[in-house]
Amino acid sequence: MSDAMALAQERNQIFDDLFAGRIPKRVPVSVNLPIEFCIQYAGQDLADAQWNTEMLEEIFDKACQDFASDMLPVLAFRFPSFYKLLGAKNFVMSSSGFLQHPEVEGLAREDYDAFIASPFNCIMEKILPKLYTELDKDPVTKAMTLAKAFKAFHDEMGHAGMVYGKLIQKYGYTDVNLFAGFCEAPFDFVADQLRGFKGISIDVRRMPDKVEAAAEAATPLMIKMGVPPVPSKHASTFIPLHMAPYLREKDFAKLYWPTFKRLVEALAEAGYPSFLFAEQDWMRYLDYLEELPENTRIMFEYGDPKLAKEKIGKKHIISGFYPVSLLKTGTKQQCIDKAKELIDILAPGGKYLFNLDKSPVTLDSVNVENLQAVLEYVSTNANY
Amino acid sequence: MLDMQELTKAVGDLDEKKVLGLLNEFVASNPSPQDTAMVVSACQQGMAIVGDLFDAKEYFVGDLIFAGELLTSAIDILKPVMGGENTAKIGKMVLATVQGDLHDIGKNIFKSMSEAAGFEVYDLGIDAPASAFVEKVKEVNPEIVGMSGVLTLALDSMKNTVEALKEAGLRDGVKLIIGGNPVTEEACNMIGADAFTTNAAEGVKICQGWVK
Repeated sequence: MSDAMALAQERNQIFDDLFAGRIPKRVPVSVNLPIEFCIQYAGQDLADAQWNTEMLEEIFDKACQDFASDMLPVLAFRFPSFYKLLGAKNFVMSSSGFLQHPEVEGLAREDYDAFIASPFNCIMEKILPKLYTELDKDPVTKAMTLAKAFKAFHDEMGHAGMVYGKLIQKYGYTDVNLFAGFCEAPFDFVADQLRGFKGISIDVRRMPDKVEAAAEAATPLMIKMGVPPVPSKHASTFIPLHMAPYLREKDFAKLYWPTFKRLVEALAEAGYPSFLFAEQDWMRYLDYLEELPENTRIMFEYGDPKLAKEKIGKKHIISGFYPVSLLKTGTKQQCIDKAKELIDILAPGGKYLFNLDKSPVTLDSVNVENLQAVLEYVSTNANY
Repeated sequence: MLDMQELTKAVGDLDEKKVLGLLNEFVASNPSPQDTAMVVSACQQGMAIVGDLFDAKEYFVGDLIFAGELLTSAIDILKPVMGGENTAKIGKMVLATVQGDLHDIGKNIFKSMSEAAGFEVYDLGIDAPASAFVEKVKEVNPEIVGMSGVLTLALDSMKNTVEALKEAGLRDGVKLIIGGNPVTEEACNMIGADAFTTNAAEGVKICQGWVK
């Protein structure tokens, strides 16, 4: 057996233990280095490499060589080509070459009822043309544009998937894929793609009933989107959570939580665990998270790791909390000490996956040496 | 004459119906510009309560956004009865989301709260290059420059902006505040700003302290 295969076996065992609630041999390590970070790290041009995706294999390979992780550490979540073809307003490139989600309104306030009555038709007829300028055309042009964009989408994603497969083999990573599927909490979908942060914040006060009904209407679509064809414990549907920390608990309890809980439960029933990114601070909602199906995978940005471990650490698999900002400003020793501190809190009893509190978008978000030192430290020292 | 305390409380409670009801009634009574100035001030005090409730973690970002919207509606109602002179500003501020970053929700919250506190805000929008800050600072000579960002890449843009202000000889004439998800004390030192905050209400208080 090759070294890479032996390594993959060892790593798969660690993740099997992690997911089954057994204590693994050591703390599994993962890091998500986004495409932009990897391009810059490889010394390539952002504009070039995001379009000319033939360059990706070499770019990702370099990151795999230099950053210790048990799981494939690189990911291209989006590519500009298909958004550009669609004339997207919801994913736009900034002047420095970073694709971002600006504030958009896909659904006018007066169209709530249309969405609630028939969400799919409303998306096709009203929302897509508002979000994508090239879909605001005559039917023939629209059909051609959609066909081209989906071709581009499948080409890019298929190519990236092939590169991932090669790298997983080459470096003996686990086959665990936390990003195998994707969807949003229904309320977040209504907020991010339909009404915008500002719009939804106003609607929550002015027309909470419509917001509640819209989240309800979006739920079957999100379940459908999040359930993959082949269920596997080694895969997760990634659900990046957005709006909850910006709501009052009473609004969260009524408008956000019920449909979100139903979504995670439906995915679990279909044999598919969710991987949640709890953006910002979710400490107010730990008792809610406790209600989710056992072994939900949750990555936290901010908050109190002790409290999280205490409240949900026996039931769910926790990761995150490691401050990316420290990797930029701290000394190597401070960075390693922080990792030790988190491991001491979160590792006991298992159900802990080491990860940062967020993905470093750019190379200069972190001091690369600090990041490498921390990953190396956890990979070699966090034994049970 | 309307009950100022009741109005302040209604704004603090974000009770939109009540606030707009009170103001419409007030405007219908053909008030003097002096009375209107008092009403504006009562609304501003209500916004200060909103800021305090945010600090106390009773309100959250969504509530601040709604508060900004409520204040805009309130001022729109009051405009016809405002005199030209009662809009004395406490200071000028140039504000933007820095280069490379397209996020403006936090910046907009800070903007509306700063305006509510009496600042004249020059908003350069999003993805603003250092040169745009420099030009605007030259043009309007503000007391304060605010830089906002959500992505970690914003920190470097903030630093570049400070460097550009230095090169143009403008840095020492302004107070610099940075805000947004990635800012920390360490980042603030590295960037060379005078203050940082992840809390719009606190940011406004810092700025008020600077122009006292």
